[in-house]
Amino acid sequence: MTSATAARRPFAAIPWRAPLVAAFALVIAYFVILVGVLADPSQHLTFVGAIPQAQAQFINAVTIGAIYALIALGYTMVYGIIELINFAHGEIFMCGSFVSWWLLTTLGFSGAISDPLLLIGVLILAFAVSMLVMGIVGVVIERLAYRRLRNAPRLAPLITAIGVSFILQNIVFVAISNSIVTTPQIIPNTVLTFGPVTVGLINLFTIVLAVGLMVALHLFISRTRLGRAMRSTAIDREAAQLMGVDINTTIALTFFIGSALAGAAGVVQGLYFGITVFNIGFQAGLKAFTAAVLGGIGNTTGAALGGFVIGFLEVISSVWGQGRWSEAVVFGMLVLVLVFRPTGILGQQLGDRA
Amino acid sequence: MKYARVGAALTVFAVVASACSGSTASPSAAASGGASGGGATIAVKIGTEFPMSGGEAPNGVPAANGVALAISKIQVPGFTVTVSQQDDAVNGVHNPQQGAKNLQTLANDSSVIGVVGPYNSNVAQAEIPVGNAAGLMQCSPANTAPGLTKTWGGVDPVSLRPTNPTKIAYVRTATTDDLQGSAGADIAFNITKARTAYVADDTQTYGKGLADVFATQFAALGGKVLKRDGIPGTTTDFTSYVTTVKGLAPQYVFYGGVTTSGIGLFRLQMAQQGIANIPLGGGDGISDGPAATKSTFLQIAGDAGDLNTYSTTAGPTTIPNAAQFAADYKAMFNTEPGAYSAAAYACTQVFLQALAKVGPGVTDLKALREDVRAYVATPANTYDTALGKFSFDANGDTTQKIISYFAFDPATKNWKFLSQRDFTAQPLQ
Repeated sequence: MTSATAARRPFAAIPWRAPLVAAFALVIAYFVILVGVLADPSQHLTFVGAIPQAQAQFINAVTIGAIYALIALGYTMVYGIIELINFAHGEIFMCGSFVSWWLLTTLGFSGAISDPLLLIGVLILAFAVSMLVMGIVGVVIERLAYRRLRNAPRLAPLITAIGVSFILQNIVFVAISNSIVTTPQIIPNTVLTFGPVTVGLINLFTIVLAVGLMVALHLFISRTRLGRAMRSTAIDREAAQLMGVDINTTIALTFFIGSALAGAAGVVQGLYFGITVFNIGFQAGLKAFTAAVLGGIGNTTGAALGGFVIGFLEVISSVWGQGRWSEAVVFGMLVLVLVFRPTGILGQQLGDRA
Repeated sequence: MKYARVGAALTVFAVVASACSGSTASPSAAASGGASGGGATIAVKIGTEFPMSGGEAPNGVPAANGVALAISKIQVPGFTVTVSQQDDAVNGVHNPQQGAKNLQTLANDSSVIGVVGPYNSNVAQAEIPVGNAAGLMQCSPANTAPGLTKTWGGVDPVSLRPTNPTKIAYVRTATTDDLQGSAGADIAFNITKARTAYVADDTQTYGKGLADVFATQFAALGGKVLKRDGIPGTTTDFTSYVTTVKGLAPQYVFYGGVTTSGIGLFRLQMAQQGIANIPLGGGDGISDGPAATKSTFLQIAGDAGDLNTYSTTAGPTTIPNAAQFAADYKAMFNTEPGAYSAAAYACTQVFLQALAKVGPGVTDLKALREDVRAYVATPANTYDTALGKFSFDANGDTTQKIISYFAFDPATKNWKFLSQRDFTAQPLQ
């Protein structure tokens, strides 16, 4: 293996010390929030008084971070395998939220479902349908818009991606709704208490779901035959082909998985916030793209990490009374990271530098 | 070959894009009815410039309807008046550049003698220089940002009139945010009896201006502003701000902004965190219709979030002949008038009354446009309109300084008119 190929390992294994580093980072983030709550001049809280609020803010950050991370995974997977920044990905997320809106309203739900079995059934159905539909949409987009451009100059597919994003946005704008629609929030608005920790059921659900999907994705990429095909295609497409990997199927599979994850994020968006709108994908896509770049684009672990980092940055700016600057903080951090670590936090490939 | 593919994709995009903008530019067919009287009349137009599509259509459409209604009801001898309708919403959101472009389109049409609109203050900011250069009078029924007509925040509105600094080409029937902010403070302090408040804004011209005045006036009345936040208008996740509000436990929350910048969501998330018992107030940016109408504040905030909410509109609600106006409006559009329908009607009356005064004998459209502008810009002229009698001062502001107060009514799931206050007769302090 030459050093050039060593630098291109988009779906690298997670090093053993990663969980320790992550835990350490979470503790630091928690204390930054806690100090922010304590330092809030309008509240005059004692240390003990600040803890429940800091804890609630911590949960807020992890929840929104999980949503960003789910979307960011799709950006990074597609970039990892065909080096395309798929600007239509944010719109896949938006369409996913509309699929779940359509499904839940068609089934006649309008509020929380109290029967736990029915709730679980409907949730599984909503996620299955949205992920499947968006996965197929992702594959169709790849087939129609990107495949013919695979060997074209890089700018062509990039502009096509922007075009696809406008097409999706305008289809929803014209055909479904030109303004905000309210989505049924079927998960009851209950708060769970685990000893000193309280967490909303929807927050817990979002976090568990996102982490579960991330772990599943990681295992799929690192342990299965298809995952190996994806990794080898990302490292060297031609060599992989010579070794018998079906490139087209593998790339389609990558689009399917990435888009399905965005579809899942879309369902979560509706459940958590209770609304969706045709242009919601732009902002969410931009944040998730930033998350992917921040973590190291092409690197799935990095994308997940980047999503959580952005979630925390937003909440920290709000806690410190600087919500006005939250976007400046997020993008300022991106600039800082790129200045000192051009390959992102976890440092991965920057494409062909030749 | 590969470029042909890109071209094909872009063509599809262009078709879709034009399909969605094409539906909005059609002029109101209803407006031209009735005004085809005698032989040699001069055809003139009144332009309308509002957000007509997307999430802000509930704001713009009722105002544009007010203009169409006025033109169908009132005839000016010697003239045939029709409407040229423009839409400043791009992808569903009001867009200042689009507004300026629309105003230029109207200015290039020599038969346009005046423009009613826009709805949003930042659109007006982009349009005033265009109207000033063209000498085309604009009358806004809804703009409330103080800086459009008077010195505000250290900025002189003359900077909006670079071409003809002394020629006023913009007037408005809406009063300004300094009064709406005062009215908000009046509601918080005197109606809900709140003594502490959390104040947030969407970091845009309108929202921040409103929230700033609220904060100052609430403090002046003797209340305490616990915290002042700015939340970017693109935010959907307000949970961390709501958690802060929960910790602060204020007696009132005031949010300066419009529904599309997320106040409904903020309120919904307040309800989710169990603090919808804290009253929430806003300006006319949230008085955009009943809970049954799609994408209004009341629909987004949801059943729990709607309770204990207050809003204002910059103008009178108790108007002369209100019942007749509502009946006429309903007969033509089969729906209730919106918050600024009557004001848009009044703006149209201003133009039609000016036209009746200066119009006879004038045949040159260019001179007519200038005569109408000069007449409306003259403070001595008064107008008898759907809103009552008023005139415009030297800055272009209305002399009628009335704010209407509203509260959510659970029975009708709509805003209910509480009272109106004339700030000329009884200033807050």
